[in-house]
Amino acid sequence: MGNGHFGTGSRKKIFNAVIVIALLVMIGRLYQLQFVYQDEWGKKSRDNSVRTIAIEPVRGLIYDRRGRLIVDNRPSYTVTVTPNEFRYEIIPDLAMLLGLDEQVLRNRIDRARQWSRFAPSKINRDVDFEVIVHLEEFRDRYPGVGYVVEAKRHYTPRARMSHVLGYTNEVSERQLSRHPDIYYPGDLVGAAGIEATYENVLRGERGFEYVVVNARGQFVAQFAEGQRNTPAGEGSDLFLTIDAELQAQAEELLGDRRGSIVAIDPQTGGILALVSKPDYDLSNFSGVTPPEIWSALNADTSRPLFNRAVASIYPPGSTYKMVLAAAALEEGIIHENWTVNCPGFFRLGRGVYRCHRPEGHGRVNVVEAIQKSCNVYFYQLILNVGFERWSRYGRLFGFGRRTGIGSIEETPGILPDADYYDRVYGVGQWTRGNLISLAIGQGEVSVTPLQMAVYAMLLANKGKLHQPHLVSHTYDTHSRTIFELPYNTEEIVLSEKTWDLIRTGMNKVVDADGGTGRGAQIRGIKSAGKTGTSQNPHGEGHAWYVGFAPYDNPHIAIAVIIENVGFGGRHAAPVAGRLVDQYLKSIVIRDAPQRTIPVMYDRTATGNDER
Amino acid sequence: MRFKPNKIKSEDGSSVDIVLIACTLFLTAIGLISIYSASYDAGGSVFFQRQLMWAILGCIGMAIMFFISPRIIEMLAIVAHLAILGVLAVVPFLGKTVAGTTAWLDLGPFSFQPSEVAKITTILVLALYLSKKNSNIKSFKTLFIAGLIVAFPMGLVLMQADVGTSLIFFLMYIPVVYWAGASPFVVLILVAPFFVGLASLIGTTALLIALGILLVALLLIRENGFLSAVVFGLNSAVAVSVQFFYERLAQHQQMRIANFLDPGSDPLGIGYNVIQSKVAIGSGGLTGKGFLNGTQTQLNFIPAQWTDFIFCVPGEEFGFVGASLVIILLGILFLRGIRIASVVKSKFASLVTIGFIGILFFHTIINIGMTIGLMPVIGIPLPFLSYGGSALFSKMIMIGMLSAFYLNRKEYS
Repeated sequence: MGNGHFGTGSRKKIFNAVIVIALLVMIGRLYQLQFVYQDEWGKKSRDNSVRTIAIEPVRGLIYDRRGRLIVDNRPSYTVTVTPNEFRYEIIPDLAMLLGLDEQVLRNRIDRARQWSRFAPSKINRDVDFEVIVHLEEFRDRYPGVGYVVEAKRHYTPRARMSHVLGYTNEVSERQLSRHPDIYYPGDLVGAAGIEATYENVLRGERGFEYVVVNARGQFVAQFAEGQRNTPAGEGSDLFLTIDAELQAQAEELLGDRRGSIVAIDPQTGGILALVSKPDYDLSNFSGVTPPEIWSALNADTSRPLFNRAVASIYPPGSTYKMVLAAAALEEGIIHENWTVNCPGFFRLGRGVYRCHRPEGHGRVNVVEAIQKSCNVYFYQLILNVGFERWSRYGRLFGFGRRTGIGSIEETPGILPDADYYDRVYGVGQWTRGNLISLAIGQGEVSVTPLQMAVYAMLLANKGKLHQPHLVSHTYDTHSRTIFELPYNTEEIVLSEKTWDLIRTGMNKVVDADGGTGRGAQIRGIKSAGKTGTSQNPHGEGHAWYVGFAPYDNPHIAIAVIIENVGFGGRHAAPVAGRLVDQYLKSIVIRDAPQRTIPVMYDRTATGNDER
Repeated sequence: MRFKPNKIKSEDGSSVDIVLIACTLFLTAIGLISIYSASYDAGGSVFFQRQLMWAILGCIGMAIMFFISPRIIEMLAIVAHLAILGVLAVVPFLGKTVAGTTAWLDLGPFSFQPSEVAKITTILVLALYLSKKNSNIKSFKTLFIAGLIVAFPMGLVLMQADVGTSLIFFLMYIPVVYWAGASPFVVLILVAPFFVGLASLIGTTALLIALGILLVALLLIRENGFLSAVVFGLNSAVAVSVQFFYERLAQHQQMRIANFLDPGSDPLGIGYNVIQSKVAIGSGGLTGKGFLNGTQTQLNFIPAQWTDFIFCVPGEEFGFVGASLVIILLGILFLRGIRIASVVKSKFASLVTIGFIGILFFHTIINIGMTIGLMPVIGIPLPFLSYGGSALFSKMIMIGMLSAFYLNRKEYS
């Protein structure tokens, strides 16, 4: 390196030459790849594209309390479009094939394009198998159009259970934007009932498969030998507390009449049956719900989509009298021999309030007053007990608050107190006369059928109030684990004497001569109940019945309301009686080894069909 | 530090090599665009944002280096190198493992690859040693000590199971000693076994051609006849032993070699990346498919494309024009580097420049060569383009130093 300064001369030229040659070789290779072989590589690029295939998780199954399958899944074909490969010219053809409006189809594809150009989006759900056959046969004509096999809900015909189960619906824009990682456009989500409440449990987790497909969209190989695939996680199965057979009988007994039936297992709070009529046919909701069915259901004035069992409120009528009796007995205001003379009417100031029996009940004590549902007795009683205690005991018995069944539709009902009346009528604008109506469960006090069933459970259990629930446990199919779902239990502590007097009165309603609920009598079983008729300015009153059986070891508590038919004793009590009878028979037959059923049950009894 | 930015008054009075800086920034920008595209669907803009942050830090580092005198760098070289060797030694135990290689140190919000810095300090120390008055590049002793300077960090990097980077350490030794005055014979000794071994794997004809070329080269260099004979003999022995060992390799290792020679033999297995990157580039044509429209890129055919296979993105989305532009920009940068190495008066600065350009050059040909199927798949990044903060940052630091050398080119040291 003696010549001049460092690093000049031949070595610099050699370095420059090496650099230039190396880079020219690379550019030459690029030329070779991108021009000479461009057709070949370009074709390979089109030939070999990786498709991401979402593996839809299978939605969990639903069983009833005896493990009978109620909801399962059936295959359904959903047509998808991958916007990047799709050609808009074929929209008319595709719209005709799918039976869709061209503009609707175009909108759906535009929306899919916004979501992802390279991933397939669901365009039309639940298409006929013939359509899929056609698509398969003429793949070349439908670039970018594919299909996935999805599951759609399938309902076994045991019972309709519309309001219990609820339905699934296509995911809304709002849900999509809130949970973009969970939901894709076209996904089904629970929209009502258990499907909505237990959406997280039932849904499962989406899996992904990456496959290499050729230019015709046919499968070539698993991408990266399937190492990047993730399997779908199945949704968990639900086990309901519902007895599908009892549910079906309850639905059948209500028939076309509007109303509701709720039956509860008083030992756990598990709902045995929950009926709201009119209801709707769930199978209309399993695939795509035709818009005309939607609008028909929404326009129906009898409101079939409305779950009366948890969302409708009615005055409880005479069924509410036990709350007042309990308050009076427990607070020491009356004792069992305290009597009122009923001449058939009650006078307060200038007002005259009638008993339902014009000739009067004569002198009655608390047990007889419940048995005969004497209004005059309770008119007098509420004046002695006072508004504050009446309200407090009402709240204690579960009224004016939600039961916690876990339905988004549930309403707390109305339990008036002094504050409420001050708000409604103004301070000093209401009098003791307003209380007279409350004494017999009329006026502002309003309850849901579910609250009444909980009330029946509480009376059956002498104060033990379990949180009513529809699901007893879930089953994770992947880990094969059962998760018991916990529920709360409250205890309303009243003296044994108080419970005895009220319950004796309720037993006499059903089993003694002169009881108002003899229609609920069950041959061979001691039971208890209370009838009621909720006054209705628009026509006949609503018929109420609450009850439980067997008397000493209750296995079912029930509330029945039938709208606009008249007296509870005539219309609601027989329905409750038949259901209770059939349920008790069925658990004797099925559960005899596990459960102890009171010996008083007469196995030879044939039911109450003659009534 | 003596800071005199206005002292240059030569035939070429400029104080900044604008072309060098421009190429660097242009390449970094293409890298950012490519990373954005490659990671568009696979994890969002996090990669892009991080790289952008590092690019900004790199520019700041580059500017700072510009104002640091080569003398200061000379003074600090050994201390810095020893410090980084210490860090390298603990990385296998404390570092985090990414794709089978434990080369990263986790520093809270970002992780850091000490081997990137070690390349710089190794070159500094090597240049320092070879520029000393008492070193004689013609002597075996000097070449051997220079070899040890490189071998030590190379061994530490090999302990991190980072074969690609350790190969760079070996390769960068060659241009530096050659520039310092070593005989072409030395270069031949270092390079020949690779080509002969490779040729023997391809086939007998290739082997014979390779040995022929070696013979001609030896005759041209006209080194001592005995030594020449020994070199030729040893290379022939390499050829035979490669054959011998290949027969005895486990089948999957044989397959890996066979796959480099012919990626098509297992298109969905080992050869997958190479085929897919060739498909991506090949399908680009003259002007490419357009930004964010590369189907191979957007569908994430190539795993972790934003790192080692980033060249596919300009290749597919901007076609021959885009890919050639990258190569030409890198070529201009290298040639500017050689120019700086020959105009600086300081021997130290000149050798460092050659070392840095060597690093960038080998990174480039190995990386691009692998994506276009001319080189085996060795995981090293493409300078300025690949995703990776410490790699980008350290390369911008190199450019900063080269600019400083150019600024101070009249200074002897």
